[in-house]
Amino acid sequence: MVKILLCCSAGMSTSMVVQRMQKAATQLGLEAKIDAVGMEEFNEKIAEYDCCLLGPQIKYKLADFERQAQEYHKPVTVINTMDYGMLNGEKILKSALALIDANKGA
Amino acid sequence: MSTLADSLFGVIENRISPIAARLSSQRHVVAIKDGFIASMPFLIVGSFMLLFSHPPFSQDSQWGFAQWWLGMVKQYNDQLMMPYNMTMGIMAVFITGAIAYNLAQSYKLNGLMAALLSLMTFLVVAAPEKDGALSVASLGGEGIFSAILISLYCTEVMHWLVKYNIGFKLPEQVPPKIRQSFDLLIPIMVIFLTLYPLNLFMESHFGLLIPQAIMSVFAPIISAADSLPAVLIAVLLCHLLWFAGIHGAAIVGGILQAFWLSNLGLNQEALNAGQDIPKIFIEPFWQFFITVGGSGATMGLVILYLRSRSAHLRAIGRLGFVPGMFNINEPIIFGSPVVMNPLLFIPFITTPLINAVIAWTATRTNLINHVISLAPWTTPGPIGAAWSTGWDWRAVVLVAFLICLSTLIYYPFFKLYERQLLAQEEEMAQEQLAEEMK
Repeated sequence: MVKILLCCSAGMSTSMVVQRMQKAATQLGLEAKIDAVGMEEFNEKIAEYDCCLLGPQIKYKLADFERQAQEYHKPVTVINTMDYGMLNGEKILKSALALIDANKGA
Repeated sequence: MSTLADSLFGVIENRISPIAARLSSQRHVVAIKDGFIASMPFLIVGSFMLLFSHPPFSQDSQWGFAQWWLGMVKQYNDQLMMPYNMTMGIMAVFITGAIAYNLAQSYKLNGLMAALLSLMTFLVVAAPEKDGALSVASLGGEGIFSAILISLYCTEVMHWLVKYNIGFKLPEQVPPKIRQSFDLLIPIMVIFLTLYPLNLFMESHFGLLIPQAIMSVFAPIISAADSLPAVLIAVLLCHLLWFAGIHGAAIVGGILQAFWLSNLGLNQEALNAGQDIPKIFIEPFWQFFITVGGSGATMGLVILYLRSRSAHLRAIGRLGFVPGMFNINEPIIFGSPVVMNPLLFIPFITTPLINAVIAWTATRTNLINHVISLAPWTTPGPIGAAWSTGWDWRAVVLVAFLICLSTLIYYPFFKLYERQLLAQEEEMAQEQLAEEMK
């Protein structure tokens, strides 16, 4: 079971991405818990997930969030702009899985 | 043209964005913004009740439904206004606690304790008891700036005392819950020793409470923030940031929220007193008139995309149409992309500015009602506009007009971009064909 956290300004547009990712996960036969939150909730949620993907509109938060996530050894990254705009759930999901794998290896 | 555009984008990317990013990651700014967000549900429900208590009909309306509503409101005015009075009416109370909580969390202090400390302090300075009653006069809109300053001050005092390890040291065996309540004794004393004398001094010398004094200091800024130039600067800054791919609305809105809420408080007081509504610039004005469909007023652009000959734009249009109705437009902004796209820069910046001028003028000349209520920002444009102006149907007409206008402004730029994409799509199709022919 993988647990992926998505985060944007209010958790609205990322929640559309979550739906697409959830669908892609089902197609891959993958058990996944994917949630979207607003950025004020990042701090209290990150510990429960394997990684966090940020909406590109809050990429300026990356350094700040990375520092907070380091405490729990969780990787944080920004979603590719085009994939985000096209709500490409499958590609975003795969990049998240790759991120989690890379983190495990480290 | 292209070098000019490049240097402009360079300035946005390298100068404006980092400052905005730093500002919006700054601890106190974040705490203030999150505090406002936490208070918002109370304010939305409270201002809804205010609208309900002021039906949009004239007193001598002959329509049965209107007469029934007016009669009921007259009879039960106090009961109906109670939810308003206990939310919007004392909004500074919620804001004080919520900001202190968030700031304390960011310092890894006890949020609940910071919130309680700030609440006490705020009540001491803003509503000193007289004849067995607390006055609510300074607890509403007038108290907002005091709420911010007091909650920051109290939490900083706590933080300072913890940092220098000042406080009662209870032995380890004492249960944590009990130790926690002792932790607050010193901060409370410090607050009383510092703020309370100031309070007494202000009252005896000037006959003012601290919130009233703070409001009179802020008054020139508040009235400047309600002018058309201020609106245009805010809109311009927000969209320059968005253009660099940064959530401009979250940053600019976060800073403007205190002014918006204070303006809203003034408008609601005026409505309640039956006076002319004074203020224009409040969040729904921005949300539903200036940026209908999301930042950049992209509703018009989505409509163009829906019928585009470019497969890419059509796909974005389909993805973005429904979210766009609820003012969510990330698919448009990142999918088109609008971000760093020189062809869409001009309409993306100018459309909201033009909308602002039109909506401002319409409000000022009383063509539409002023904003007197909050609606959630995801309410579809026309409905949100009607809701926040006290169910004014003319606001719906204005929003419809602004959507049509934005379609017109975007059209020539959309055509240019479409032509560029069509050429690319054509090229790709031919390459593919050539592959297959091999």
